[in-house]
Amino acid sequence: MSFKSFKPLGVRGALLVFAVSLGLGLIGGVLGVILSEQPGVAGFAMTAVMLSLVMAAALSICVWWWRHLDEAAREAHKWAWFWGGTSGMAVGAVLLMALSLRRDEVVLPQWAGETPPELLLNGMMAILLFQLAGYGLAWAWWWLGRR
Amino acid sequence: MKNRLKVLRAERDWSQAHLAQELSVSRQTVNALETGRYDPSLPLAFKIARLFEMPIESIFIDEEG
Repeated sequence: MSFKSFKPLGVRGALLVFAVSLGLGLIGGVLGVILSEQPGVAGFAMTAVMLSLVMAAALSICVWWWRHLDEAAREAHKWAWFWGGTSGMAVGAVLLMALSLRRDEVVLPQWAGETPPELLLNGMMAILLFQLAGYGLAWAWWWLGRR
Repeated sequence: MKNRLKVLRAERDWSQAHLAQELSVSRQTVNALETGRYDPSLPLAFKIARLFEMPIESIFIDEEG
């Protein structure tokens, strides 16, 4: 996807994007807790609609933010997402697969979950965290190499 | 790819921030360009050439050529 470049955001702009994203996450979290009290299919549908709206808003912020990045900043993010994300995912996958294949020897902590759905969800979130950690490190590496 | 950006900027007594503003990029990007650690896209290279009123090949040095 290619967008016309706008004036770079700068530190204040980046902080604004961060604050708005955080606020959006907070709203989504609060609404999620409220809607989790709603029983049945209607409750599930409302949760799905709410999450879709929050994600659509998040993507809109993402598009706006991307349009205000210059080409080097975009390149840094693309490079970091591919190499950092992939490497982070590989590290996370090794850890999770080792844990899941050696269930008899390894006792999982309670926060990892006990039921299959809990384990599945927490495993997915763990991989995401590894990806994000790799992405952050790779992004810093890219810019440090170009100072 | 090596380039003469730093020299051209110094000749005009411009700061990195000023050049960044002229090119609509961040100061960090100008720094990465000047140190030759980031090669600009063709549109940005043309923009730089227009700004300095010089042909691209006078600013960017093709080391393989």
